[in-house]
Amino acid sequence: MKIVPHATTDTLTLALDGELDASSSVSLDTELTKPDVLDYRKVMIDCQRLNYISSAGLGVFISHLQRFQDAGVKLVFFNMQDKVHNVFEILGLDSLMTIVPTQQEATAV
Amino acid sequence: MIALLRKLIPLALPVAVLSWLGLLLCMLLRASPPAAARWGLPPDWVILTTQALFAAGVFLHERARPDRLRGTEFVPLLRQLLVWPGALAAVCVVLHLAERLLAAYVPDRGPVLLNAFYVINLGLFVYFLARTCYTWRSLVFFRSQPRIRQEWRWFEVLLGVALMFRLVSGDSISWFILPVLLVLAGLGVYLSAHQQWIAYLNRRQKWEIVFLQLAILGVMTVFGAYFYSLQNDPQLAGPLAQHAFLVLTSFFAGFYAVMGFLVTLFNLPTAGVFEQKREEILSMQRLSQLIQKGQSEKEVYSLLFDSAVQTVEADAAWLDLDTDGDAPGFSYQVDAPTREGICRLLADYNIGHIEYLNNDLPNSAGFRALELPYGSLIVMPLRSTKHHYGTLYLLKETRQGFDRENLSLLQIFTNQTVLSIENLRLLQESLQTERVKEELKIASLVQESLIPKTLPADSWFEIRWHSLPAREVGGDFYDFLQLSASRIAIIIGDVSGKGTTAAFHVAQMKGIFHSLMLLDKPEKGQPLQPSKFMAMANQALSHCLERSSFITASFYIVDYKERGFAFARAGHCHTLYYNAITEETFYFQTEGLGLGILRDPAAYEKRIKNMYYDYNPGDVMVMYTDGIVEARNAQDEEYGEDRLRKLLERSHYLEAEDIKQSIIRDVEEFSRGLPPFDDQTLLIIKFKNAQPLA
Repeated sequence: MKIVPHATTDTLTLALDGELDASSSVSLDTELTKPDVLDYRKVMIDCQRLNYISSAGLGVFISHLQRFQDAGVKLVFFNMQDKVHNVFEILGLDSLMTIVPTQQEATAV
Repeated sequence: MIALLRKLIPLALPVAVLSWLGLLLCMLLRASPPAAARWGLPPDWVILTTQALFAAGVFLHERARPDRLRGTEFVPLLRQLLVWPGALAAVCVVLHLAERLLAAYVPDRGPVLLNAFYVINLGLFVYFLARTCYTWRSLVFFRSQPRIRQEWRWFEVLLGVALMFRLVSGDSISWFILPVLLVLAGLGVYLSAHQQWIAYLNRRQKWEIVFLQLAILGVMTVFGAYFYSLQNDPQLAGPLAQHAFLVLTSFFAGFYAVMGFLVTLFNLPTAGVFEQKREEILSMQRLSQLIQKGQSEKEVYSLLFDSAVQTVEADAAWLDLDTDGDAPGFSYQVDAPTREGICRLLADYNIGHIEYLNNDLPNSAGFRALELPYGSLIVMPLRSTKHHYGTLYLLKETRQGFDRENLSLLQIFTNQTVLSIENLRLLQESLQTERVKEELKIASLVQESLIPKTLPADSWFEIRWHSLPAREVGGDFYDFLQLSASRIAIIIGDVSGKGTTAAFHVAQMKGIFHSLMLLDKPEKGQPLQPSKFMAMANQALSHCLERSSFITASFYIVDYKERGFAFARAGHCHTLYYNAITEETFYFQTEGLGLGILRDPAAYEKRIKNMYYDYNPGDVMVMYTDGIVEARNAQDEEYGEDRLRKLLERSHYLEAEDIKQSIIRDVEEFSRGLPPFDDQTLLIIKFKNAQPLA
């Protein structure tokens, strides 16, 4: 699992590459727990190369969801593969989180 | 040649004895004219030959004796040499005096006595020389190279040649013999340089050896004096023995003894150093032996401390241990203020935890300020690549008290200690792991007991289940509760994560399920709605689930009277269904958020839906956890919902048990050889047409 951060003035984009399982979700959690993450207006997660997400990986996003909402930071997922999207959908997270097909739409949110 | 010598060896002793008797006879004949007149006068060459045969016999016999040196028992070896042959020297002296005495009483028998005692003394001397030479051989050969053995053999051959000279050349030493004799003498000197054995003696043994060597030299002097005085005695009836051979062997025997004596003598002052090195080696051995016995950490530290103090002869020392704060450490003749002073100073220099040797404390400003009575200090940390276990401090009153060897020896000590401490800890850890494993086994048994074993059996439906945790304890769960004769509640679910934490939440979920089912009161017109059940479960879980955990579940209430069921899905896998009327196989597409994700009750209730469905006899419902559809094969593909649906299309007509078996078999075949990636749970319900039993 590789996490490539890319920051502009008000947006932080994290590109996830590989499988988000129990061990790699720890590093994602570390990345999202950084206090300066809340200084951005929006955090975008690029899921183009995300091949698999485990319940631990979902747990990381779930645990930060409330914190981001409270701080007024938007969390947007884009470029999600079908099978990963299916996991979000089954759990009902698609109605709770913003998931858009492309980067342009994510930027527009 | 060697084979021939080997055959001659058993003959050596008889030949020596016989030739000695022959020699005695010849000399007596020559000493008493009347007897010679009667028996004839033996010529010189007979005497010389018997003498040569005797010397050769004795030397060959000694040569063939097994090595007298046992291990490194040098002192007993020399003591033996002195006791027996030394006694011979005494005999020689006594015989000589006796001969003088007797000659005074019976002057006409004087020559006979003199010659008889000469032959006896010659025998004793030759034996003494042989014994000495071959004792020295043992010492020369001690830990020597094969080359030395070769050189010794040449020495022997040349000695044999020298033995022949007397036979051919008569009394004088001719020009061609001299070089051989010089070479022999040189070889003797060269061989005498091999005195390695002395290094293996301790101080007391060295003293003993010095005196033994002196005594052996004394014995040789006694013999030498005797033969020298006899050399020109007119009464000596026969020609002198082989002087070249005897002088050479005596020279070698004497020279080796002198060399040994000198080497030992000059080694005496350094004997203490050797002994200290021996002591160091011994304590190292002790340390490594004890380490193998796997004693407690305290014992290992104490052993290190004692060995270190003893081997470097420290005047004061202490060992600070980092482990467990209150570990007392060890100290030797040092008070707390000194310890604190030194530690503070080292910390100020920022060298508190590295190897440090200062052999001139009075000349370091910081240490001088402490006014310590010590001149030298070694600081030796105990550490491995990962851990720092403690620090050893050693002090000496003298300056230049420690050397490089001390330092490297201490390094070996501390390395050994660290190794053994790590071993001990590994052992403890493995015991701990073993205990955890045992506890997991118990947890697994407890969880096993939580899984329902008996089902509400009825004739209107058939239910089968299968559960396979990926580890000892799993995060999947299912349960049933017969609410009334015609109603049954079923729950299946999955806790995020695996292992023990997940198992705790499973137990919680079971508790919630059974508690909430008490709220189901259909007789009062208040049956429990599945969505309500989920909402309440979510609320209950929000108090005890950590933020990153969630639970997915599907909850069903099947009613036989109504021929239908109500259900709700909270983020769990879609339920697979076969409808026997339409002959369709499909997944129920209902919405519903997982439990524990949204903790606001009102917000959650909006995201969970009820669904009602009327069943027909022959319908099949397949409930499962993601371990089934996410099972992977070697190509990292997932089993998937489609494959499961198609399998049910082919197998719906089977009994519930057979449908279950076909799914398990198919999943197993798909992920052949790979261990289950996640817990797998499967529930199959097949509805029947039968009437319920009254």
